[in-house]
Amino acid sequence: MDFNLDEFLAWVGEDIDTLMMLIWILPVIIFVFYGQRIQLLISSNEIKKDIGKLEDYTASTKKDFLNYVKNNLTSKTDPSKKLDSFFDYFTIMPVDMDPNGIISKINHLVRSREDFIRLQINGMFSDLSSVELSKLQNLLEIVTTLQLFYKHTRHLYLTAKKQKNFPLILPLQMMIPFIMEEAVALKDAMPAIKKGQPIGDSIGPMIVGQMMLNTTKELAAFETVWSKTTFEDRDLFLLKAEGPNATVGRPGDGFEKIISNKKPDLVIMIDASLKLEGEDSASIAKGFGAAIGGIGTERFKIEEIATKNQIPILALVVKQSIHEAITLMTQEIADKANTVREELYQMIRENTASGQTILVIGVGNTIGVSQ
Amino acid sequence: MSKSKNKLSTCYTSLECNSCKILKKRKFIDEDFVFSFSENCSDCDGKMMVTKIFGVIMD
Repeated sequence: MDFNLDEFLAWVGEDIDTLMMLIWILPVIIFVFYGQRIQLLISSNEIKKDIGKLEDYTASTKKDFLNYVKNNLTSKTDPSKKLDSFFDYFTIMPVDMDPNGIISKINHLVRSREDFIRLQINGMFSDLSSVELSKLQNLLEIVTTLQLFYKHTRHLYLTAKKQKNFPLILPLQMMIPFIMEEAVALKDAMPAIKKGQPIGDSIGPMIVGQMMLNTTKELAAFETVWSKTTFEDRDLFLLKAEGPNATVGRPGDGFEKIISNKKPDLVIMIDASLKLEGEDSASIAKGFGAAIGGIGTERFKIEEIATKNQIPILALVVKQSIHEAITLMTQEIADKANTVREELYQMIRENTASGQTILVIGVGNTIGVSQ
Repeated sequence: MSKSKNKLSTCYTSLECNSCKILKKRKFIDEDFVFSFSENCSDCDGKMMVTKIFGVIMD
């Protein structure tokens, strides 16, 4: 039968409802049977682009790290192969079916890993200073974390694609903006760490470090120093990580040592804190409780000692984004140091009386900040 | 210099003389770290202490 366009148009003109029905029903049928696949296709294209970026970040930071090692350090043998094996190191967290005592297990695990990496890196290079060693540990951590992000994101994406499982890609679609934000921050942190420049997180150690000037510093714990000073008839104990190393120190152990010497009446912790969306960068906030991030073991220790000895803990934080916290300190944040110090003194005046003792802890990575 | 989203950050060092308290700002050099005495004061016999190291973002 020959198709006649004129006849067809005439028929359409007479029965427009039939054509409209066809136009509506076809997409409905397509979406009923292929809707999930279309959605998977659109979502996966966006995720694929981000995975590509994660791969680039991993490769570029790895290259950057190895170039830094080759150009700045003297090694007995070629360090590339050994360092390359470190990138794939993983940590198996302790069993949490019975959470009793898990903190000490995590603490042991994390410290063992740190000690192992430190020992291995130290053995690879000759005349390695403590600052350089801590910088290498930080750089290695950046590359390892980026590699972990890349591998896990790619795994979830490929599994969803392989099984054509749309619900599996949904959590990844929700999480990817946060993963990318952290990945960009980690990538951008490399130059500051390599040059030993302070990062946003160094604001706490910078404030306490200034207060420590012209005092006698003693070792409180591994990579952690403390000293004594006075303020308006009160004793101040100051505690921070040992700078200018790229380290957060061990403030929990430091607190334990100080308390065995003399029990403070108040603990004030100064730290950088992640700002909420809509909050201003470098804004100052005051609160209660232990202001310290990380895996949670240091906070647990500080909270435990404070509870056992009935010592109140106050917090003073400088708000910043994840990018600002781990990249070169911005002028806005650096300029807040004096204001935070004034707030600290006001906090001491309002919450303690003459003759009392206050422990001030500058929490954060003290890279590029001495005392 | 770090580059992110087409933004370039240049690192500066702020210094203060421990004697005449004069303030100075210059570009960061590799030996700088906060609270180190990196150079002599150009105005008096004092030593310049690094008080801040920070990045300034230029679009």
